[in-house]
Amino acid sequence: MASVVPVKEKKLMDVKLGELPSWILMRDFTPSGIVGAFQRGYYRYYNKYINVKKGSIAGLNMVLAAYVIFSYCFSYKELKHERRRKYH
Amino acid sequence: MLSRVVFSAAATAAPSLKNVALLGPGVLQATRIFHTGQPRLAPLPPLPEYGGKVRLGLIPEEFFQFLYPKTGVTGPYMLGTGLILYFLSKEIYVITPETISSISVIGLIVYAIKKYGASFAEFVDKLNEEKIAQLEESKQASIKQIQDAIDLEKSQQTLAQKRHYLFDVQRNNIAMALEVTYRERLHRVYKEVKNRLDYHISVQNVMHRKEQEHMINWVEKQVVQSISAQQEKETIAKCIADLKLLAKKAQAQPIM
Repeated sequence: MASVVPVKEKKLMDVKLGELPSWILMRDFTPSGIVGAFQRGYYRYYNKYINVKKGSIAGLNMVLAAYVIFSYCFSYKELKHERRRKYH
Repeated sequence: MLSRVVFSAAATAAPSLKNVALLGPGVLQATRIFHTGQPRLAPLPPLPEYGGKVRLGLIPEEFFQFLYPKTGVTGPYMLGTGLILYFLSKEIYVITPETISSISVIGLIVYAIKKYGASFAEFVDKLNEEKIAQLEESKQASIKQIQDAIDLEKSQQTLAQKRHYLFDVQRNNIAMALEVTYRERLHRVYKEVKNRLDYHISVQNVMHRKEQEHMINWVEKQVVQSISAQQEKETIAKCIADLKLLAKKAQAQPIM
């Protein structure tokens, strides 16, 4: 890795593709680390889209869309049987 | 991102921690790292005005910017259309009765939001603004109160500096009273002295007058005494002769 800054310190967008596995392994997987990651993610989304003076419906919309897609993924197994054609 | 800051702080603090581990647990308390950074959230930064931009109410603007250098403006839309067609044709998304109901529900929601979104947002903004205005008012009131207290305190402090005016006035009053009594007494002295002198003068005048009157009386008495009887008869006869002459003259003149 011919990078000037050690891989530990980079943000995800700056990590090169080859360094990705080592970057992922470097992350903090202790319970407090995971909780911290969820908290950070939540506050990042909250402060960007909801905790503003003139928030739009998009802040809520994206959460609902993500929930819809997430639940569709989990119910795909049952929905597979309602397909109109067997072979695509 | 915050974890990186924590890691870098830990890295800089690592040497001291390593040394402490050698010394023992008792010394650990002494070299614990306290909050040495600047308090970043005071005063609180103001809320941003608008949230992150989102297109179609679903997809954040960053995604479009991410694809713009490679695919231009229509890239993400093409990607979206392609993905939808792919899901439909491969039946990764299955068309069920639920699809139709969800289409109608989502259509209704989109219509309602497009129609009433702005007015609802205005209403909520107004509520918010009222709350903020109330808080701001109370804050201003308390600030004003404290400012008034400060001004009062300052004015009282300056009053303490101006005590010398009071003393000056008192000193002036006393000086004036002294002056007044001095002049009063001077005037009295003058009056008394004048009184005494006037007395002497009037005594002199009275003596003078008395002497004059006495002299006049004495001279008159002597003169009257000196006029003997015979001289009196002669004088009276002469006066009668003069008078007769004068009468003749007076009678003679009007006739002329």
